[in-house]
Order: sequence, then structure tokens, then C-alpha cells
Amino acid sequence: MKKKIMSLVLAGLLGISMAGCGLDEPAKSGDTAAAPAGEEQTSENEAAETAEGDTSKGPVTISFVSFINGEDAGRRTLEKYLEIYEQETGNTVKESAGTADETWKASIQADFQSNAEPDVLYYFNGVDSDAFIKEGKVVSIEEIREAFPEYGSNMKEELLVPSPYDGVVYSIPHVGFWEALFCNKNVLEAAGVEIPSLDDYTWDQFLDDCQKIKDAGYTPIALSVQQIPHYWFEYAQLNASGPDKHMDIPVSIDDEAAGYWAQSLDDIKELYDRGFFPDNTLTATDDEIIQMMGTDEAAFCLDGSWRVTWFEDNADPNDFIAVFPPSKGNRKTTDYIGGISSGLFITRKAWDDPAKREACVKLVETLTCDEATFEWAVSGQVTALKNTVEPEGETHGLMDSIFAMNGRVTSISPAVQDSLEGNVRDNLFSNVKNVCTEKITSKDAIQEMLDMMNHN
Amino acid sequence: MPMISMMFKKKWPLFILVLPTFVFMSIYLYYPFLMNIFNSFNTINGLGTASEGLNTPFYLNYINMVKDPKIHIALKNSMIFMVCTIVFQVGFSVALALMVDGIGRKAEFFRTVYFFPIVISATALGLMFNLIFLYKGGMVNSFLSYLGASGSVDWKDSKHWLFTAMLPVMWQYVGFYFVIIETGLNNISEELYEAARIDGANQLQLVRFIKLPLIYNTVCTCIVLAITGSLKIFDLPWTMFPNGLPEDMSWLLGTYMYKQTFIASDVDYGSAISLLIVVMGVIFAMIANKVFKEKDY
Repeated sequence: MKKKIMSLVLAGLLGISMAGCGLDEPAKSGDTAAAPAGEEQTSENEAAETAEGDTSKGPVTISFVSFINGEDAGRRTLEKYLEIYEQETGNTVKESAGTADETWKASIQADFQSNAEPDVLYYFNGVDSDAFIKEGKVVSIEEIREAFPEYGSNMKEELLVPSPYDGVVYSIPHVGFWEALFCNKNVLEAAGVEIPSLDDYTWDQFLDDCQKIKDAGYTPIALSVQQIPHYWFEYAQLNASGPDKHMDIPVSIDDEAAGYWAQSLDDIKELYDRGFFPDNTLTATDDEIIQMMGTDEAAFCLDGSWRVTWFEDNADPNDFIAVFPPSKGNRKTTDYIGGISSGLFITRKAWDDPAKREACVKLVETLTCDEATFEWAVSGQVTALKNTVEPEGETHGLMDSIFAMNGRVTSISPAVQDSLEGNVRDNLFSNVKNVCTEKITSKDAIQEMLDMMNHN
Repeated sequence: MPMISMMFKKKWPLFILVLPTFVFMSIYLYYPFLMNIFNSFNTINGLGTASEGLNTPFYLNYINMVKDPKIHIALKNSMIFMVCTIVFQVGFSVALALMVDGIGRKAEFFRTVYFFPIVISATALGLMFNLIFLYKGGMVNSFLSYLGASGSVDWKDSKHWLFTAMLPVMWQYVGFYFVIIETGLNNISEELYEAARIDGANQLQLVRFIKLPLIYNTVCTCIVLAITGSLKIFDLPWTMFPNGLPEDMSWLLGTYMYKQTFIASDVDYGSAISLLIVVMGVIFAMIANKVFKEKDY
């Protein structure tokens, strides 16, 4: 009988221990992020009360996620200032970084949706952030300034980017970006092609140059069509629409914007048809393809300001220059794509945690202080700082060309793709390869994108 | 002894003992599965976001599935993987196990060598094979170049992708089935071999008339595992062939479901695809169980 009772008790204990797995830890104040709208205020009040009563100011661990990975121009600066932050505060930063592609963006969204978001996030401030802003999962600058009035005060107010969802500012803008055509001088010289002019470089000249480079046995354009056709699409679209209509998004297949967008896909197809891309452009990753620039196998690559570090680390930056991409139609050569499309967010979960609130604010302030931003913008990026960026120390050929290019800019257009929802953008860029290989027409691709926009 | 006999007389203590596991399975398996079916009838744009209501008609995703060319590709590829899994994974495992069985004490070494790939994560294997098949400077292309081949082969293009995708998957799991079959061979009584040898049987006859019939049931189990496993393949192909690379040709049911759910944020369509995977798994497992019925020897 005793054994029988014992077996029943053990079975009961097993059941209780399994059911009680999630009950061991006391409820965290950060969990308010998941609270239904009606309960949010109460939870916030509770968190505030906890904050007032909190006397422990010991070191905390802050999770920080960004897309400043190993190849980014700002990586070294980020690591340096994270170290400074840790030394000054005694806090620990658990940092992770990914490549800012659709998969990474989807993983960030999934983290928010499953309440596993980081404490501080360096992310895009366009429509990509709509989903978590809509859910109230990040804190507005206004709310942070109620407790920390100096938060982001070194930035120009007019450059604080409001959310397209509700017009409220949630992120401290950091350095901006520009997109340009990087040229390998060695390949151009070997192929007998002149370095493109900064003031006027037309699409036709570019096609002629590519043909010469191809005939000389080099790959004209380093591009992975299957993975990153984004930059070429952006400029081809700017060529078709011009800066004034660059941000127009198609509503129907017959409207003017749809025509521009289809034209831009056709321009990329023309480059593919003429064999200007690498042989394995349909299968290779961007990481594989970019190596061709460093090994003097390819002449041009269209990329963003974040690519400068790669040239510094993997090649002699004096062998490269950055120029405006070739122009066509309604765009002047000196009109380029750039702006400030990302910033630092503090999540509601971290803000409501009294132990982390100040630590998160301090982290953002450390990463966006003048010194850090100056260093971050070393590749000539736009910043939102009230003070101006002065280039310091020795530069190299590539950097000199960047400053020369930035000095001639006539207009800066933001990237129109940032106005598209993630799945729509993914669909559009997935179809670039299908347009190139004639599986679908450019109009079909735009129609498919419109269908997806309507489905959303 | 009286305790055990009483437990078999009265069933309720047994029910109590299995209850915690049943509750656990209900919460973490059956409930999500039923919710997944329900979700496939709803509009859900994003993981964790609330349903925006039922689709119109509610079975819209299943209509789309019939029309979706990428699902057709995924289905076809999954079938190809299934057949290749049976032929190559289980087939090679049987062949290797039969060969290693005769080695004696050194068999342990081969058991470890063949089983080793199972221990490595599929993602790491995918990255390793990416380097092996790299277009420029990859191991295979470098070797071909050393042999005098002109130009590099794009092992991931439309002509070669199936081989390149299949090879690592087959290679990874051969060891798994090898160990199972090898264990089955070890369980065959030595007396049977001795009796056969006295009757004049040679090595081939031992394999044909003793080993193969006696590992038949083990092989059947391996085939059922291989069939259901092949429908769930995801990590290794996704690492090597993300987004249906090349030109949407390499979609599998698992990779396409991931793409729809996590990248395209079409959670309801992803749910419908996952239901398709489950239904296919059940159907093929039932067919396999019928075809490869276990036999008594």
C-alpha cells in the first residue's frame, strides 16, 4: 500500500513540476509589452512604481541588435564604443548583428512578435518598423525625454525621422548612407576604359564601357542578381522617374509609376542579357561576388557607404574610386540615393524594466554622441548632428573620391524600397532574376507586387 | 510483485502515470496542430499577430496551393528527395553495414566514421558543402582545374543543383541508418552462420539467405523513418539553396513553408503548407507500412 501511495505521489509531483515550469520566476515588469491594450496602463503604472522603489543600480546586461556586422563601415566604431560603454557603466552588452536582408528583418519582426525583442535595436525607421510601432513595442523620443530631457539633443530636430505609421519619432537617427558606383581602377585601366566622369556619366557611355571591359576578359559588374539586386533597381528606378517622382509607388499596372518601375527592371535585364554580370550571378551570394572587386576580376559594383570598410580591409582602397552611377532619362548624374533611414530604438520591454531603463538610454547616448557619430560617418555619410563632421587624419584614394562626389551632389533621394512592406519588397526583388531569365515580364513582376500590396 | 500484479488488474494507476505526458503532448503538440489547421483558414500577416478574420472563402489557401507553381515544384522535389533517400540513404546503409559486419573488431572504427556526420549540425554541414562547391576557389572546382578542366562549374546552377543539394543530405544520414542496420546484423545469432557454413554456404549466400531476411524488419523501419524524414528536410537545403535557388527550382515543402511563414509573413499560407506536409507524411508512412510489412522469421 505504501508503495502504491508513493507511486501516486511521485506521479503527481511529476505532473506538478511540468505544469509549474513557467511559474518559478516572478513576473517581470518587461512582460507588459505583451499585455493587452486595456491592461497596458496598469502595467506601466506598476512598472513606474517598481522603478521608484528600486534601489539596486547594479550592473545589468543589455541586449543590442543591429545590422552593423563585420563588413559594415561602422563595425569598428561600434565595437569601440560598446567597450567604452561597458567600461564606464559596468554593464554588459549582449550584442548581435546580421546582414540587413529580408531574412534578417523577418527574424527581427519574429522576435518582437514572440516577445523576444532586444533592449536596444539599431533598425530601419521606415515602414519596416511599422509592425512593432503599431504594437506599441518601442518607446517614443518624447516619452524618453520626459525622464531624460537631454536624450538625442545633439541631433538636429528636423532630421529626427518620424514613423510613417503614426508620425511620431521613435528612433535617434544615426549616420545616414549614400549609394554609389565603386570602380576598380586597375580593371578600367587594363580594359582601356576611362574613369567615369563625376559630372556627366550616361547610361549609354556605361554600356559602352561595360562592353569594352567584357571584351577585355573582365566581368563588368559585380552583382548577385539572385540576392542583392536592390541597389541597381533603386538607381534604375531613379533614372526612369527622376528625383521628383522617385518616391511614387505604383497603385495600378497602368499608372505612370508602374511604368517607371517596369522600366527599371528592363534596364537590369538589359545588363544581364548583354552578359555584364558574373557567370554565376543567378546562384552566387553577394559575399562571393564582391570578392571579384578585390581580386581585380570585376570593374564596377553598386553599393552603399557601408561597403567602404570592405575595400579598406580586403583590398588597397587607393585602387578604387566611388562615382555617381550612370544616369538616364529624368535623372542628372549628380542626383543620388542617400539619407538617414535607420536609428536606435529603445524597446518598451526594456523601458519598463527599472533596472534597464537608464542603462539603455546611456547606451544610445554613448553610441550617438558627437565623437562616435563623427567616427561612424568617416565614409562621408550624412549625419543628423548639429555639429559638422570634419574628416580627420590621413585618407586614401577611395575616401578622397567619396568627398569629391559628396561635394557635387545636386539632390538626395531616399530609397523607395524602404516604403514597401517586407513581403512586397521580397517579392519584387525575388522576381528580378525571373525577369532577367524571361520567366516573367517586368509588367508581370509589377502586377505580382501590386497583388501582394492589395493582399496586405 | 503484488504491487505490479495489482497495477495490471486495476488500470487507473497506469492512466495516472501516463497523464502528465499526455497533458504535455496535448499542450505542446496536439493543440498547436489543431490551431495550425484553424490558422490556415484565417488571414494572418505576421507571426504572433492576431488573425484578421477568416479567408474568403475560408479554404482560399488550399485553392492558392493548387494554383501555386512553387508548391508544385516543392512537391516534385520532395518526392525526388524521398525516392533518393530510400535508394541512397537506406540502400548505401545496407551495403555499408553488410560490408562492415564482416570486419570484426575494426567495425567500431567504421561505425564512428560513418555516424560522425550526424553529430555535426546541418547548418555547419551546409556551410562546409558551400565551400566545397564554391564557384571560384571551391574544393571541387580547384580539383577539376588541377586535372586540367577549363573554367569553373557552377554547381548550384539549374543543371547541377539537384546533385549538389542531394549529396550532403544523403551523406549526412547514411551513418544514422547504417548504425541501426548494423545493430540489426549484430543481433543475428552466430549459430545460424555456423550452421549455414557447415551446409557449405559462401559469403554471398550468407548475405542472401540469412542476413538480408533477418534485417528485413529493421530495413522496413529505416525506410519509414527515411520517408517521413525526407518530407521534413529543411536546414541543410536552406543553408545551401536559400529562396529556391537557382531560379526557384530547389523549393522543398519545408523550405517553402519557412519562406512563406517567416520571410513573406504569410502565416496562414505557411500553416496550410505545414498541414500538407503532415498529411503527406501520414499518407506515405501508411503506404510504406503496408508495402514494407514486417515479417516474422
